[in-house]
Amino acid sequence: MEAQLLEFIRDEFLDDPETEIDADTKLISGGFIDSFSLVSLQSYIEREFGKRIPAPRITAESFDTIKQMVQIIQQF
Amino acid sequence: MAFSEKLRARYQDILKQILQSGLYKQERIIHDKQGAKVAVEYPPGNAQQELINMCSNNYLGLSSHPEVIKAAHEALDHRGYGLSSVRFICGTQDIHKELEARLSAFLGTQDTILFSSCFDANAAVFETLLDESAIMISDRLVHASIIDGMRLSRAQHDSYKHSDMKHLRQKLELHQDKDIKIIITDGVFSMDGDIAHLAEIVQLAEEFEALVFVDDSHATGFIGKTGRGSHELCQVMGKIDLISTTFGKALGGASGGCISGRTELIDLLRQRARPYLFSNALAPAITMTTCKVLDILQASTKARDSLERKAIWWRKALSEAGFIVVPGASPIVPVMLYNAKLTQIFADELYARKVFAVGFFFPVVPQAQARIRTQVSAAHTEEDLRVARAAFIEIAQKYDLLGKTKAELLNLQL
Repeated sequence: MEAQLLEFIRDEFLDDPETEIDADTKLISGGFIDSFSLVSLQSYIEREFGKRIPAPRITAESFDTIKQMVQIIQQF
Repeated sequence: MAFSEKLRARYQDILKQILQSGLYKQERIIHDKQGAKVAVEYPPGNAQQELINMCSNNYLGLSSHPEVIKAAHEALDHRGYGLSSVRFICGTQDIHKELEARLSAFLGTQDTILFSSCFDANAAVFETLLDESAIMISDRLVHASIIDGMRLSRAQHDSYKHSDMKHLRQKLELHQDKDIKIIITDGVFSMDGDIAHLAEIVQLAEEFEALVFVDDSHATGFIGKTGRGSHELCQVMGKIDLISTTFGKALGGASGGCISGRTELIDLLRQRARPYLFSNALAPAITMTTCKVLDILQASTKARDSLERKAIWWRKALSEAGFIVVPGASPIVPVMLYNAKLTQIFADELYARKVFAVGFFFPVVPQAQARIRTQVSAAHTEEDLRVARAAFIEIAQKYDLLGKTKAELLNLQL
């Protein structure tokens, strides 16, 4: 799941393919993803993993790293 | 007293954090009319200095143009200072209807509605016109006012990579089952100065039956052969469903804005847009003076032609000197330094050489994309631009920046 999210985020959000990110990179507070783009992440998770994460659980704090995302996805 | 010591401490802490992270915005105090040269007091308390202004949106030099000032005086004499009413009670005057009709004719649209600012216009449009069955697909670099406007809407949202038409197509395919699809973009992007690919956007919109919204605040008055905006440049006049723009930049620079577009959409905004219904009618001086500005623009393209020539010269001068300049065809010319600290030092060095330009860094622009944004005005003389160029080169030589790559600039030890 981590690898899949990493690939999606790299493809969907990063303009520079050489940007180094991993599961611990702070994506929102680090400026790689605009918090407003979380909606596309939410629909990707629903599409790919069949999990509907309620919007209040997806915040700039709770979804800052891929590790955090995986933890939340696994709760559903 | 409701503002307790505990609360005071809380807000002081927030301010301290902003200061410590280097994001506290210190305003430069100007003691002058807006123009190519301005008397600036900075930091507050210091002596005033006359600087070449390379950071205003006064693209056509109309902010302090004698004919514009005269028109504003006449408007004050004829219609007074304020209207003390919203439009639908007793704030609609013939001058508002005239300006709306003039703007529709200028932009090549069916109807126009005025707002107190373009921020208000963008805050109103998506909430009023879209419901849950709609999807807003926006360019990732749209202006903050559009982002706030989209947040207010019940419609769903998705975004595409900046000006990436392949990505936009993917998003349109993904959301093709939605009742209403609207593609949202700036005409000229304010931080990068590049122009949206409106011809391709319109083509995609036709293919997927989507609406197109363009914020042309950094284009109206000077982009395109007769200054109608980015839709004129891209040859898609009449094909943009909604255009928002401001009178606070090239069109005299006071304040006020509008949404212009399809009759039914504008009419619905007039009925339901909250920033329109619940804020004052545009002041008479701004309303009548904006009509005068349109007269000036329609009588001659001299100012926009001069701006175009100067912007081309300035862009070329910086590129040839070895700076990394974002490619584009607008008078917004960002000089990429990538390194946030370097942009702050560079802006201070410019100030010391009597050139006024500001550094932009995260969170205003993405991480590692720090830049000095320069803006050319028709009011600049060739001498102004030559002096500014010399200052840029002198500073770059002092810090050995010319010809350096992005990685080298980011790794500079300062």
